[in-house]
Amino acid sequence: MSVTLNSAELGGLLASTVRVASPLLFAGLGGVLCESAGTFAVCIEGMMLMGAFAGAVVAYLTGSVAFGLAAAALGGACVGLLVAVCTGRFRTDHMVTGLAINILVLGLTSFLLRGLFGGRAPNIQMQTLAPWTVPLLSRIPVIGPALFQQPLLTYAAFLAVPPLQLLLKRTQLGLMLRSAGENPAAVFATGANPAAIRAWAVIAGGVFAGLGGAVLSLQELGTFTDGMTNGRGFIALAAVLIGRWLPVRTMLACLLFGATNAIGLNMQGWNLPVSSYVIQMMPYLIALGVLCCFGRSTRMPAALGAPVSTH
Amino acid sequence: MTGLEKPMQAHDTLPWADRWVRAAGAGRRLQYSVLAVLLAFGVAAFFIMLSGKNPILAYRVMARGAFGSVDAISFALNKSAPYILAGVGVALCFRARIINIGGEGQIAIGGICATWAALHCGAAPGPLPIVMSLAAGALGGALWSGIAALLRIWRGVNEVIATLMLNFVGLLMVGAVLNGPMGEVGAGFPQSPVVPDSAFLPIIWPGSDMHMGILLALFLCAVCAVLLWRTPFGFGLRLIGASQPAARYAGVSFARSMLLVMLLAGALAGSAGGVEVLGVQYRLIDGFSVGFGFKAVAVALLGRLDPLAVVPAGLFFGFVEAGALAMQREIGVPSSLVDVIQGLAMVFVLCSIGLDKRRKRV
Amino acid sequence: MTAMLEMRAISKRFGTVQANQAVDLTVPAGRIVALLGENGSGKSTLMKLLFGIVKPDSGTIVFKGQELAAQSPKEAIAAGIGMIHQHFMLVESMSVVDNVMLGWPAAGRWLRRAEMAERIREASARYGLELEPQQLIRDLPFGARQRVEIIKAIMRGADLLILDEPTSNLSAPEVASLMAVMRRLKDEGRSVIFISHKLGEVMEVCDEGIVLRNGRVVSTFEVGSVTRAQLARMMVDRDLERAAARDERPAGGHVLKVEHLSLSDRQGRALLNDVCFSLREGEILALAGVDGNGQTELVETLAGLRECSSGTIELAGLDITTSSTKARLAAGLAYIPVDRASTSIVPAMTIEDNLAMRDYTSKPWRRGMLLDRRAFRQQALTHIAGFGIACAGPAITADSLSGGNQQKIVLARELGRRPRVLLAAQPTWGLDPGATRFVIDQILALRNSGAAVLYISAELEEVLMIGDRIGVLSAGRLEGVVPRSEVDLTAIGMMMAGAARDRAPVNDRQDAMR
Repeated sequence: MSVTLNSAELGGLLASTVRVASPLLFAGLGGVLCESAGTFAVCIEGMMLMGAFAGAVVAYLTGSVAFGLAAAALGGACVGLLVAVCTGRFRTDHMVTGLAINILVLGLTSFLLRGLFGGRAPNIQMQTLAPWTVPLLSRIPVIGPALFQQPLLTYAAFLAVPPLQLLLKRTQLGLMLRSAGENPAAVFATGANPAAIRAWAVIAGGVFAGLGGAVLSLQELGTFTDGMTNGRGFIALAAVLIGRWLPVRTMLACLLFGATNAIGLNMQGWNLPVSSYVIQMMPYLIALGVLCCFGRSTRMPAALGAPVSTH
Repeated sequence: MTGLEKPMQAHDTLPWADRWVRAAGAGRRLQYSVLAVLLAFGVAAFFIMLSGKNPILAYRVMARGAFGSVDAISFALNKSAPYILAGVGVALCFRARIINIGGEGQIAIGGICATWAALHCGAAPGPLPIVMSLAAGALGGALWSGIAALLRIWRGVNEVIATLMLNFVGLLMVGAVLNGPMGEVGAGFPQSPVVPDSAFLPIIWPGSDMHMGILLALFLCAVCAVLLWRTPFGFGLRLIGASQPAARYAGVSFARSMLLVMLLAGALAGSAGGVEVLGVQYRLIDGFSVGFGFKAVAVALLGRLDPLAVVPAGLFFGFVEAGALAMQREIGVPSSLVDVIQGLAMVFVLCSIGLDKRRKRV
Repeated sequence: MTAMLEMRAISKRFGTVQANQAVDLTVPAGRIVALLGENGSGKSTLMKLLFGIVKPDSGTIVFKGQELAAQSPKEAIAAGIGMIHQHFMLVESMSVVDNVMLGWPAAGRWLRRAEMAERIREASARYGLELEPQQLIRDLPFGARQRVEIIKAIMRGADLLILDEPTSNLSAPEVASLMAVMRRLKDEGRSVIFISHKLGEVMEVCDEGIVLRNGRVVSTFEVGSVTRAQLARMMVDRDLERAAARDERPAGGHVLKVEHLSLSDRQGRALLNDVCFSLREGEILALAGVDGNGQTELVETLAGLRECSSGTIELAGLDITTSSTKARLAAGLAYIPVDRASTSIVPAMTIEDNLAMRDYTSKPWRRGMLLDRRAFRQQALTHIAGFGIACAGPAITADSLSGGNQQKIVLARELGRRPRVLLAAQPTWGLDPGATRFVIDQILALRNSGAAVLYISAELEEVLMIGDRIGVLSAGRLEGVVPRSEVDLTAIGMMMAGAARDRAPVNDRQDAMR
């Protein structure tokens, strides 16, 4: 098997990797927030889808991308609120609740898409967010286009990583958040309310995941189609697991998955003996492999999934 | 001795009387599920109104579309069968607090194996092709769930994540297989050749599409009910689910029980995949199993993890989906409302479980 | 000089239990005050009242001259009280400095890690705490974790520190360094309340103290003017109840032999330390001891729920050291666990299922591949009648029964199989006097019929009433096993209080050799 890429092709591959990774990254950052505070983030898929839907519909109706983005964030946050209420107030099982809400959002978005516009699903077409070209830097061979010729939301996703990492590691808020996911009793002993912290973390996670959905509908496709997230939320979850609940590592995992996706898309011309389906399986198999190696992880938030009990 | 409240009479405590007591208890628990479903319909009605349609009319059409004719009923029953099969397996797992959400993948792999077996042993006499194909489907599903179980036992990988990841791998396997060895040459769409007639599931209501999948589902639910309530294995599952320290105290091996129940659930889900392939599509089609697995979880929850109650829960799902298609066809209410109803019902049931921490017989 | 803390006439009732009754406690500044008492004497409740976790029914608390009515720990901390709990409120995966900074506004919104780390080093050096800011809690031994809690309290400006049973899990050198820390705090004018049942330590480090029994203060003392023996007597002094009916008969042959049983936890601490004893047919070996000295570990290891690190267990000549729970059951070893809520009983299961819980894989409960529910029912009816379990029927769930009746289920199951050896861990815990009497009568009846019983209880009364031989479990060691007739209450009190730790442990070797 011989695969030779000239620098233009490699550059294109890298650009594609970064681009594909951006919705995953937003969702993954949302997952990091959610799980660090102790709630399983199986619901990211639903949050993303709701964000994609809300963003597309509002952007279409108002003609403004900014409103669309706000709506996407709000949509994701609403899903997060629902998850928080169920897992917090009603103490439901996190995983199964996430699944149920995913199904609910899937149906609701499809239904509203038709219902709000009467009859058949409208063809929402919007001007997608075009790439912003950074002068000079984008001329650098190979990595230039990848790093400096990307649309707005892609930049936003990657730029969000350092602040989030700092927040979690260097601020009192981040410390409380992580402690709520490790030992809620310790948080309670300081006089704070771990259940409230968890709820806010889930809602914030919804905001990020919703923006991830907006990337799909506003930046990539320019429309909303049924179930368009298509499992990306779960890939983002896998990225969070591989990234050991840290923003920077999650970003690397998302890039890895972006790469596998990009390779899969471009495989036709390469005559690799590996089916493109196997390439698509990579994210999940890698996630499983990583989990096998780490087994019972000492990095996993210790109170993840456990309901907060009062004294 | 001290404190006897009332003397025991032999005749008012025969074991078979328990069946009625247990049924009554199950009925009481199911009332939460019924409430949840009604509430879900209520909220969905609100959404119907939001889209400008009359909910009463919509539901009437839905009911007619679900029950109105033999064709409608057979369509609904065919839809229910795989839900019930996969759902009862999930219910058994959940009884032991093992969260197995791998139905999607297990059904997919089961479908692959059933198709393969059907394509290769169509020449066998009598009912063998059907039996062997379904068995192959069950084996495939069991293999898939077994992987997740072993990962948990050997490497401590959380079974939720493992089954979740394997779901996607399983779904992709279907595509991979259909684009390769089992694909029909010349078809514009990833699908397998039609399986031989001898492997078709027999029709049980002449003149309709109703196949025996529903009977298989009912039978296996009864078997699982016996398993859960009448065998040492089932007793052990209930112990593990109730209290792990008590299970250890009683000498139950968690690893062994976990592996067995996961294999069983995988086999049931795999046979659901086989039923879908051999009873409805008569071939393997890419994406045939999408959504089944998660719905199996919903069915298990709605049935409050009782193998017998899973039947009405699965029937509910099947009939609602059948009715929703009619609703969409006749008055234009999108059939995606079904997912809304199912999702809401699940959420409400979960909340009711969370609230009701009282007397729940294990 | 006004005292730093004055608690006056504090009373608190929980349901039917009077946890504290008119308790007075005065803590002067710069003194270490002991709060002595056994399990259930009211020590924990008193401190929970002080720290704001519960509110007193009556009485006042005056701290540093001001009345304190803390509604929550936050207010108590703000007032200057620091509590070092028995179960630490630490995040294992984080470092010392992160744990100190958690929830502390002084650490800043943007965590001033370097500054905090420096302050930790300073405080650590000043008080001899030997802590490095970057260490992860997970990697620290128990004693160091405790010191993290102490440094948290000190840095938040606590003038009064409450140490709740701080030495239960410490090794001797760790205890010594803790005491040094306490003295340094004292030198600075801070005060310490030292809650303990360990006389030796109280005598060594405290200045004065009070003794609580059944929620009341039975004595106040100055350490300089009281002896260990006097304190021990004050803690355990009670009238021996009339012994229950027991056949006086010579004990039979040895049926359970335990040799050099040791168990360590992951950090290498000894939970069981070279335990040797043997049980003979028709005798009860009753072990006293304060919770947390190895009781649970001992019975769980004997029952097969834990694996010992070394040693052997022999039942009627059969080596069961590595046998499974089921095998030990089959060999005739019955076990009543202390935890009724989730181990010995499954509240959500029916009474007949609970009665069958340990035996359902064998005949007659199992017939072939299926369970024989008629046999379940038969056995259940037999047990219900035989033990007088007050219930509406065998098919109702066990959580509808009272504690006493639930324990009857456990007794029926374990005693009903006519075991050769019974391990009973706190079998009367949480039961009213009537139920308690029933349990004790049943166990005596079992002993009279020729079985051997290992009976562990934190209630000294029971131990004294029921045992043919009596010993004490202290820090994982079995000490002072003597026949009933040679029991010396003071000696037992001292052993329970750990005073005997400095001497070589007296194991039950004579019996083993006979």
